[in-house]
Amino acid sequence: MTNENWIEVGKSDSIDMEDLIRFDHSGKTFCVYRIEDGFYATDGICTHEAVHLEDGLVMDDEIECPMHQGIFNIKTGEAISPPACDDLKTYPVKVENDLVYINIS
Amino acid sequence: MNTLNKILILGSGQAAIYAASEIRKYDKDSEISIFGNENYHPYERPPLSKEFLMGKKKEEEFLFFSKNFFADQNIHYINKEINGVDFINKSLISFDNKKYFFDKLLITTGSTNRRIAIDEEIDNEIYYLRNLDDANQIKKKASEVNSIAIIGGGFIGLEIASSLNQQNKSVSLIEISNQLMGRIIPFPIANLVKVEHEKHGNKIYLDSKIKSIEKTNDAFKILLDNDHVIEAEMIIGGIGSIPTVDLFNDSDLKLKNGILTNAYNQTSVENVYAAGDVSNFFHPLYQKNIRLESYQHAQNQGINAGKNIAGIKSEYLSIPWMWSDQFDLNLQLTGLCDDYHEIIERGENIENGIIYFFIKDDKIVGACGLGLTGKVGRDIRIASKLIEKQTIIDKKILSNQKEKLNPLLKK
Repeated sequence: MTNENWIEVGKSDSIDMEDLIRFDHSGKTFCVYRIEDGFYATDGICTHEAVHLEDGLVMDDEIECPMHQGIFNIKTGEAISPPACDDLKTYPVKVENDLVYINIS
Repeated sequence: MNTLNKILILGSGQAAIYAASEIRKYDKDSEISIFGNENYHPYERPPLSKEFLMGKKKEEEFLFFSKNFFADQNIHYINKEINGVDFINKSLISFDNKKYFFDKLLITTGSTNRRIAIDEEIDNEIYYLRNLDDANQIKKKASEVNSIAIIGGGFIGLEIASSLNQQNKSVSLIEISNQLMGRIIPFPIANLVKVEHEKHGNKIYLDSKIKSIEKTNDAFKILLDNDHVIEAEMIIGGIGSIPTVDLFNDSDLKLKNGILTNAYNQTSVENVYAAGDVSNFFHPLYQKNIRLESYQHAQNQGINAGKNIAGIKSEYLSIPWMWSDQFDLNLQLTGLCDDYHEIIERGENIENGIIYFFIKDDKIVGACGLGLTGKVGRDIRIASKLIEKQTIIDKKILSNQKEKLNPLLKK
């Protein structure tokens, strides 16, 4: 993996604990989460109906869609509660010098 | 000797398929059969009044689970009308007089549309939406006309009005009361929904009772008691629904606004369970029986029934929640909003979302919000959790949209 794959999202303290921010890049949209044990990233759009997850509720390691309450695991992307049934894609995240990067290659 | 348990599920909607799936998680051996009188495997109904009518989603896109679900899970789908039930001999009787015996029965017969009774000839020409066949008929007829009248300003009527407006139809909606969506929705929210419809060109007639409907050539002339006259080529009715219990009227099953069940989905007849729209169930948190008609309820109560049928005792404690999508707006309602001491308002506009919290004894008992898609979901979900936990709330935080509600969950 080369350095070029890592895209800077922003400062790590710009994401509250147990919360997320939306990150748009190259015509795609992502969610970057901060939870107890670190930072994670997934696709930004719910797999059930095309709603952005940025307004969803983060609880522990889960994100819940604000429209129809489908729930995904933030770390694995797994759809764990209907109506969501397709998993969310996840992306590697790293923090260096208080900056958050995601690898969307 | 056949020692396998036979589990029959009468009705083939959302509660049925989620129950069957849940039973199979714990019980790999029992024979499970779902009886449905539609020619389709169970499918999601919310898109019928929205994406399907607008041609944005096709029917194969809203089947529950995959096409192979029934084969993979070894669950039978029997497309047959049942018109008799014998609780003593534990059997269902089909229209062709065949008996299907059960050890356990789950009733998920759902609800049936109320129909408008004005004039027999006119009544038969009014369209209603309940299932995929209805939606196909409405879609076809709507494509042939320009002006459409909708009778009833509830969620279904308004969603259809929104969808048909987006198909460039001229829509008039007639509501008998003085606000849309019944009294359970706070008046300011009902009014914002009305304004949104009117902004898009829909005509909304409140406080309007139908005096008469005349048919002239291919159109209808609807005369209201306030002397407004509406001309429309098609009429759609959406005036609520009643639980589908005809089959049980003369049985031992206790009925009262649906089938009475306890918190474990059990009816008054042993080994007979009910779930979804048809069940009037005891809710331990509210300490009373309630009957709900919503997507989340059908799903979660179906799952709960499945657990109990599989022998895992499970109390149904889900907090009521429902949504409606109209134009770019998403309305959500959680809890019960019929018994409260005060209302707290959060937010000022639909761009960021407006929520009304219903408070009793410093706890949230219900909440209703309206906003652009996605804007009220998180706070409504938090409200559901606070209702469930019966948390004493800080009213200042609730009323200040700049303050996040998440920390209240940590209390």
